[in-house]
Amino acid sequence: MAALLLLALAVLFVGCSAFGGDQNTFAPEGDVAKKQLEVFYWALWPAVVVLILVTGALLYAVIRFRRRSDDDPIPKQVHGNFRLEIAWTIAPTIVLLALAVPMIAAIIDLGGDPDADALHVNVTAQQFSWLFEYPSLTDAEGTPLRAKVDELLIPVDREIVVHLESVDVNHSFWVPKLFGKLDAIPGRTNDLKFNATSPGTFSGQCAEFCGIGHANMKFTIIALEEPEFQVWCEEQLALEPGAPVCQR
Amino acid sequence: MQHAPAAELQTTTGMDHRKLLMWLFLGSECLFFGSLIATYLLYRNKTEEIGIGPIPSDLYDIPFTSVSSFVLLMSSVTMVLALAAIQRGDRRGTQAWLLATALLGMSFLAGQAFEFTEFYRQGLSLDTNLFGTTFYVLTGFHGAHVSIGVLILLSLFVMTLRGRLTPANSINVELIGLYWHFVDVVWIVIFTLIYLVQT
Amino acid sequence: MAGATIGERPGTLRDALRDVRDQTAGYSGIWSWITTVDHKRIGIMYGVTAFVFFLAGGIEALVIRLQLATPNGGVVNADQFNQLFTMHGTTMIFLVVMPLSAAFFNLLVPLMIGARDVAFPRLNAFSYWVFLGAGIFMNVSFFTGGNIFQGELGAPGAGWFGYAPLTLNQFSPGHGIDYWAFGLLILGIASMASGFNFIVTIINMRAPGMTFFRMPLFIWMTLVTSFLIIFAMPIITVALFQVLADRLFGANFFNAELGGTPLLWQHMFWLFGHPEVYILILPAMGIVSEVFATFARKPLFGYPFVVFSGVAIGLMSWGVWAHHMYTTGLGSVANSAFGFTTLLIAIPTGIKIFNWIATLWGGSISLKTPLLFAVGFLAMFVIGGLTGVMHSMVPSDYQQQDTYFVVAHLHQVLLGGALFGLFSGVYYWFPKFTGRLLNEKWGQLHFWLMFIGFNVTFQPMMISGMLGMPRRISTYSEGLGWEFWNMLSTVGAFLIAVSVLVFMYNVVISLRSKERAGDDPWDGRTLEWAIPSPPPVYNFAEIPQVKELDDFWHTKYVENEQGQLVRVVAGAAEQAEEAEDDAHHDIHMPSPSYFPIIVASGFPFIAFGFMYDFALLPVGAVVMLVGLYGWALEPATE
Repeated sequence: MAALLLLALAVLFVGCSAFGGDQNTFAPEGDVAKKQLEVFYWALWPAVVVLILVTGALLYAVIRFRRRSDDDPIPKQVHGNFRLEIAWTIAPTIVLLALAVPMIAAIIDLGGDPDADALHVNVTAQQFSWLFEYPSLTDAEGTPLRAKVDELLIPVDREIVVHLESVDVNHSFWVPKLFGKLDAIPGRTNDLKFNATSPGTFSGQCAEFCGIGHANMKFTIIALEEPEFQVWCEEQLALEPGAPVCQR
Repeated sequence: MQHAPAAELQTTTGMDHRKLLMWLFLGSECLFFGSLIATYLLYRNKTEEIGIGPIPSDLYDIPFTSVSSFVLLMSSVTMVLALAAIQRGDRRGTQAWLLATALLGMSFLAGQAFEFTEFYRQGLSLDTNLFGTTFYVLTGFHGAHVSIGVLILLSLFVMTLRGRLTPANSINVELIGLYWHFVDVVWIVIFTLIYLVQT
Repeated sequence: MAGATIGERPGTLRDALRDVRDQTAGYSGIWSWITTVDHKRIGIMYGVTAFVFFLAGGIEALVIRLQLATPNGGVVNADQFNQLFTMHGTTMIFLVVMPLSAAFFNLLVPLMIGARDVAFPRLNAFSYWVFLGAGIFMNVSFFTGGNIFQGELGAPGAGWFGYAPLTLNQFSPGHGIDYWAFGLLILGIASMASGFNFIVTIINMRAPGMTFFRMPLFIWMTLVTSFLIIFAMPIITVALFQVLADRLFGANFFNAELGGTPLLWQHMFWLFGHPEVYILILPAMGIVSEVFATFARKPLFGYPFVVFSGVAIGLMSWGVWAHHMYTTGLGSVANSAFGFTTLLIAIPTGIKIFNWIATLWGGSISLKTPLLFAVGFLAMFVIGGLTGVMHSMVPSDYQQQDTYFVVAHLHQVLLGGALFGLFSGVYYWFPKFTGRLLNEKWGQLHFWLMFIGFNVTFQPMMISGMLGMPRRISTYSEGLGWEFWNMLSTVGAFLIAVSVLVFMYNVVISLRSKERAGDDPWDGRTLEWAIPSPPPVYNFAEIPQVKELDDFWHTKYVENEQGQLVRVVAGAAEQAEEAEDDAHHDIHMPSPSYFPIIVASGFPFIAFGFMYDFALLPVGAVVMLVGLYGWALEPATE
């Protein structure tokens, strides 16, 4: 029964990419989230197979070997089988090692150095809002561009590097369709890179419990086509069109 | 009737329950002090980086603390002598060495009290900086352990006065002895890592 | 020596038993429970108290589910919601699953190893009273931690994990967190005291012939759990002292401005917290190992493998803590390393699962309620284990961390796992300690309601989590695709609640039933089934001699010429044993003592003293000193 249930769930997982809302991790819109979903499936399918096998064996054993009457003979007192036990020690070891190799490769891949032309963003988390600043996009006086509170604009298809800090308690920066979480922790800066592969508005919210306003600590990332982003940048900084700071 | 061969198999350590308990307790204490010491070491350089309040090299008086460490070490010797005395039934010896151990422990505590007041006078309190926080909490918990030890030693001393401590229940002295040596060893670790090794 | 009749001279077994009965005859009424040092009574008190807290934690869960049943729920406000989930987690872990396990340790360890009591009966009573005090202390915070007269609830609201710096004064004013931290500190004392006690009992007090590899598996798991407790608790103790030092005395452990790092809390909490996960699950694993063997009428398959995998889990649990911290920015190397160790810990867990199925395989399985719960445990634990493996995959976990997917996983392990295992134990051993079987029909209803309720509640959370629903949010907006799954979870939660009511009804009618269970209703394998139900205060009239694993079973069955097992004629074995009796018998049972409860009552004074008025500190100190000196000077037996 549990196996059927899980099979149903697995089907649902696939189905979920079709529906689900703005924070659906099954519908990634960035390379990081796509990679993370890929790794999820690497783990999901073996898990579903193991679940069906194990639960099937369990149910089979319980039904097949149930006591039919009180006069049933005492079963053979089997104490173990060394070969069998070694076998089912080694088998999961192989499966898990097979998972470990691509997992570590994916970790290293996601943690690699950012692109040279990446756009850097300083993100400051505070109870209960997000502040965004672009250190490289500066106006004539050298003041960096600040986005609206809780609204980050980025150019599409360009790598974004986030430098994440917190001024009070722990928070976690998360836009399910673009990237998994990274915590903002007072006293340290954490770095994250991601991109958006299509333009659009992506909603995110704080994923580390941070107090009374935690549920409402939401924000959006708006991905614009590169030219639109440059226009926005120039307007915000009151610069001439084509100003070099706003160019890629 | 034939004896089951089972009866000869080892099903107990033969060690007194209380002694086994004490060893387990001390094992558990290792993680307690380990966590405190690890915290101190993790934060040891932070205070100098931040630059608020005194740092270890401003305050430590190594010769003074060496002397009080030596006093505490000597109390382990007197502790051993107290145990030897009770085991051979020497009541006077037991009394003398128990009292000596307690007094040495109290001298160490007095040294610690002096050190704390001195540091406080020079501007280091619990909330000054991370050095104050980690130093006072670590050495304070060690001091609390010594104080409890002294209290038990004095209680045992009173028991010997009333003749309630005999070679038959010398286990009591043995238990406090284990505890006392442990607290000593912890101090040696603290003294080495916190006072002597400064980076 | 053969032929010495019992009762001829003083010092025989019969005299000794009569003496004990005379001595304990007067032990009745409330006072006898308060001063009891009998491991069976303490076990029952642990169980009943933990069940009361289970109801409290369950009601908290129901309110949480009501609030989240629909978007923009208006049942409670954010502050109340935070308190509810904090207390729900803290209660279920520290006041329900741990003490329920402790109840089984208490009830069973001496019986299963053939001892008359634990090594330190008074310390055992002390553990219980400290636990009770701490549980009440923590729950009182609802009324005393805030300003109740303005309708403000004052319970802690920073999560059961209490991440710094949210737990510091400037972010959590009021006394809620103090209650939480002191409560956990005091509970730690109770857990450690019982940890020491059971280790010494198991290592030192096994009946003659019961070598380590003849111990029932439950005893092995108790031993591993107890070691985890005594080594994990000191770490959280230090962390809690640090947070209290920051809160009460202005220390700077977690003050980032002076260079403190809040991440230190997470490291220490999870260095404790992951062994803690196994502290919660290993006892249930021990219980189902006994249940599978008994109800399949087969010995546990691969006993040494199950033992060693339990020990391996215990050891490996120290090397996986940072998998709770993948998203804190530890770096690729640390994440890879902890991802790898976390994958590895699935191996010993897998071995256990395969061995349990192999135990059932080829058996003669009696589908009674204890077995149903054990099978339910196994099925749900497999799902929990597999979702655990999925979480260990670091990149994927970046998405799942702190979502409802994790909520689903941890409940699969702790409710579908630990609690199902514990209920299996309740149904299995209830007749031993009450003399009455729990009603089978109601038991089956309880199981199926709970099993279905569990699946309806928690499996949808995997989906709401993957649809991007974070944990610990007090409310959510419509349109994110979460409505249906949350409503489903709420319906399931109420199904579980109904199943608990069925269980309570079952206990009441079963206790009132006139039918007696007998000494060995399940055809058990271990020593506790060899003695009367409920067991006499001295447990064993005579300390048993153990010749093999599942010794009691082998006194009941022998092989006939065809190599088939047949039942020995009832009573023959016992008579043979009695004839051997000629040793000098002198049964010393520990005397009741009121000092454990006196010492235990000092702790809340100390905590209140630090929180409200230092004048209470000397009061607490005096109470404890009086209790301790009385304890030390009181003779252990009359």
